[in-house]
Amino acid sequence: MSTTVDARGLSCPQPVILALDEIKKGKDKDIIVLVDTDTSKENVMRAATSQGYRINAVTPESEGYRIQIIKS
Amino acid sequence: MFGFFKKKGAEQKEKQGKLFVDRGILVFENTSEVIQAENILKKTGWPVRVMGPPPEIQRGCDLVIEFPLIEELNILRELQNAKIPPLEVVPVTAPLLKPVDLFHTKDFGAYLMVRAANMKITIAKEGLKIVNISGGGCPDVPYLAYQMVGRTLEETPSPKDLGHTLCGYALQLAYEELRRIC
Repeated sequence: MSTTVDARGLSCPQPVILALDEIKKGKDKDIIVLVDTDTSKENVMRAATSQGYRINAVTPESEGYRIQIIKS
Repeated sequence: MFGFFKKKGAEQKEKQGKLFVDRGILVFENTSEVIQAENILKKTGWPVRVMGPPPEIQRGCDLVIEFPLIEELNILRELQNAKIPPLEVVPVTAPLLKPVDLFHTKDFGAYLMVRAANMKITIAKEGLKIVNISGGGCPDVPYLAYQMVGRTLEETPSPKDLGHTLCGYALQLAYEELRRIC
């Protein structure tokens, strides 16, 4: 079971904060983060890695990227 | 008689106080001149501060240096010697000539963001760990972020030791402001 965080349309640092809030809840090992800019993608990936998550997949979508992060 | 000296002393103190608060701003052509001038003037011991330009100033770059007006001649001589004379020296005499604070702080609940010029640092309030570095557009920003994200304000290397661009400089200002607040 995965949780999806929709951070599209938000400016920095809000996508990172939303992703970290979900990570902190610790309910799911598998989190999907939707972002719409390259900068948000990089920032979310960096923040997730620093929290002990690994980037499982980054899929370009029509409105940006779908980032799947998994607890290592 | 003692009353006279007391009054004279109070006048002198008031005058000194007024002189101390009289400020001026130095406007430069570009930000690298601002950075150089700040370094030189701080090394010499003058109480200067990098700020944003006031709305009425149309010339120069996005940063100005605020300085004590009483030191104008000495400071200009120092800058002439260093071959970085300012474009303009403006006494701060009206509200529209007041330099603007470079910092913008935003509270996101568990997180705190400080922006200085074009760079932002966000930390988790609990543990003071850096969770995000963003802004800029300079080539060293990804490297700065890589080095700093995940570290606490205590642990992280200073941006001025890592960066080589205006973004690194602005990030240093934001970092110093966070250190001051937290």
